[in-house]
Amino acid sequence: MYTQHPTLLIGPSDWDDARAPKAEFEQRIAALWAAFPDASQAIVFGSAARHAELAYLTHFVPKLEPGIALLSRDGKHKLLFGGGPNMIGAMQPLTFITGMAPLNALGKLIDGWKSPLLVGGGAMASAVRKTVDDATNATAQDATAHVQGLMRTKSPTELAAIGAARDSLNATMKAMRDAVRIGGDAMIALLAGERAANDSGVQDIRTLFSLDGGRTLRPFEALDHTYTDPLQVYVAVRKFNYWAEGFACISNESQPAASLAALLLDNALSAIRPGVPVAQLSKILAVGTPYKLHPVTQGAPVSPLGLSLDAAPTTNFEPGEVYSVRAGLTDGAEQHAILSAMIAVRDNGSEVLWRSGIA
Amino acid sequence: MTFEERLKDILARMRDAKLDAIVALHDGAHFIETPNPVTVLTGFKSLGPAAAILRGDGRMTLIVAPAWDAERATEQCPQARVVGADDIVEALTAALSNGARKNAGLAGMRYLPSSIASRVAAALPAAPSADTLVFDAARTKTDDEIGHAREATRIAELGYRRLLDIARPSMSEDELAAELKWFMKTLGADDNFLLLCASPHNRAVQPSTGRRFQKGDIILAEITPSVRGQLAQICRTVVVGDASAELAEKYALVVHAMDQGIAAARPGVPMAEVCRAINTVLEAKGYGEFCHPPHIRRRGHGLGFASMRPGDVALDNETILEPDMIFMIHPNQYLPETGYLLCGEPVLLTANGAEPLTAQKAALATVAG
Repeated sequence: MYTQHPTLLIGPSDWDDARAPKAEFEQRIAALWAAFPDASQAIVFGSAARHAELAYLTHFVPKLEPGIALLSRDGKHKLLFGGGPNMIGAMQPLTFITGMAPLNALGKLIDGWKSPLLVGGGAMASAVRKTVDDATNATAQDATAHVQGLMRTKSPTELAAIGAARDSLNATMKAMRDAVRIGGDAMIALLAGERAANDSGVQDIRTLFSLDGGRTLRPFEALDHTYTDPLQVYVAVRKFNYWAEGFACISNESQPAASLAALLLDNALSAIRPGVPVAQLSKILAVGTPYKLHPVTQGAPVSPLGLSLDAAPTTNFEPGEVYSVRAGLTDGAEQHAILSAMIAVRDNGSEVLWRSGIA
Repeated sequence: MTFEERLKDILARMRDAKLDAIVALHDGAHFIETPNPVTVLTGFKSLGPAAAILRGDGRMTLIVAPAWDAERATEQCPQARVVGADDIVEALTAALSNGARKNAGLAGMRYLPSSIASRVAAALPAAPSADTLVFDAARTKTDDEIGHAREATRIAELGYRRLLDIARPSMSEDELAAELKWFMKTLGADDNFLLLCASPHNRAVQPSTGRRFQKGDIILAEITPSVRGQLAQICRTVVVGDASAELAEKYALVVHAMDQGIAAARPGVPMAEVCRAINTVLEAKGYGEFCHPPHIRRRGHGLGFASMRPGDVALDNETILEPDMIFMIHPNQYLPETGYLLCGEPVLLTANGAEPLTAQKAALATVAG
């Protein structure tokens, strides 16, 4: 899901061995070596906007300038950070990797590497990519898709982090509903929700909202105290590096579109179990006249959740995965609604972690 | 200057450069150090990747991702033909199929992720860079941008006042930064580059971490709210507990250096002179070695998100200052006795010199320890 990307990531993301054990990161790196037995080094890139694979392997989320992990089969990893050597004080708390160096050392540190794995290379600026190609004689093998595959199945610690994010999502949505209930406009509800999110210790919060009853969504651009009922919102909160997200249609009155969306969503959720094609949900979430699919969700009714809000789509639901499932519809005139749920796929079905209420 | 007048200037520059079109690109990852040519041409701040095509006759096409954001783009850029697309390169290629790719210049390529840049380069293999053309044209701010910078400065100062009200020992850097960001959003800030850290002896200003404030800490805050995509910044230093006489003395020195920099900033003067004026004060006190990397890289910078011109307040920046330029002047000096100290103001160049946009200049402050 696209949101407005902030110029600086502000919020707690220090690495904590109790919440994200180093041993688990080592297992993930070992799994990478196991899949590529001939590789002895890996270059893992992440920027403030696109860093899911880097966070998965190192816990490091670049708040400012990009970061690159240089992983080595012998365990002597290095984490390169942007912003100059004096930034190390703010960078070291973000990862278990103790070998830190400024990003401008990249070319020297990888000079002569043969066929290293490259993860996240597509997010590199062209100049960084050229440095990698020059130093490795363009022998790097793209392992991004493989790491993304590893990331799909969530461990108990990852599920706990997502659960914590889900709790913050609940607190955020409740604050928004409470604000609307007492007559608050979109701005008041949005800011009340973000206040509640901060109070619950989130690492990040992104919101979109509607000023036209849910027909379109927009990011916060300026204070606009237009009153709107229903208030359609999208909220994504991040805690311990993991995201939770939800759509809600908040109103003091019954909303026919929201009621229908709720039915569709329930139908979709009841169909989710291991092995079911993700595409099957599109059929369940289809709507008839006078409604059509909402433009925001029609291209992506189902989206994997975890370390990013824009993970690549998958083919089938599999145990251990977490998804956001969205039911969005519009009549193109007065009635619009998007609701959603977060689900964890289990061996014999699925568990609803969060679901839009109709308030 | 109005936005329309700036566009006319860009069109004139295109004619001079014999360009039939400019293709501007941005990936949607807005960052204070990364200029955005799409915003320069259209005023639009996208959610995802975006491209703008400006043709020599003034026609504009704006391509935005995600596709559902096209209506917001149309609302904000009524002069443009807006295309909503989930793949902007594909949409760009289609939009260029009617001959606009001939003699087109590209802006923003060096800042794009390679996955997008490589596809654009394949579609327009011979296109020259138009970065200088686009960003130079936006070296001075429009009347609206100046108004937004003034409002962003007002918000930054209120944010700083809030910091003085709530910062206390045992609060973490992250908690304070998140609270201030939220507070400034309630005042209308759409984004915030808020670097905030603390230590008894700071080596640099850095992003916040979970470290908790302690008595004797020196809090550094680069408070940088954005209003309608225009950033303004103030740089402040706050002591948790009492400030030593030495710290007060050194801070006064850094403020004096900043004052000299502000006084040196006049139309017709190269930006390097502003940096030199600051350095001269510090060098006279024996801190010459700390006027260069790794201790200091620059004494200020332009304020985007659109164009970063007039660039860094640095010795190698020969940009000639002009009225309506907006930039930061911040000595932000590391001193061995005190560590890194922040003081800085956003200034607007006028015919008479640099006008600080702040109501209150940086002064060393304290909060209860």
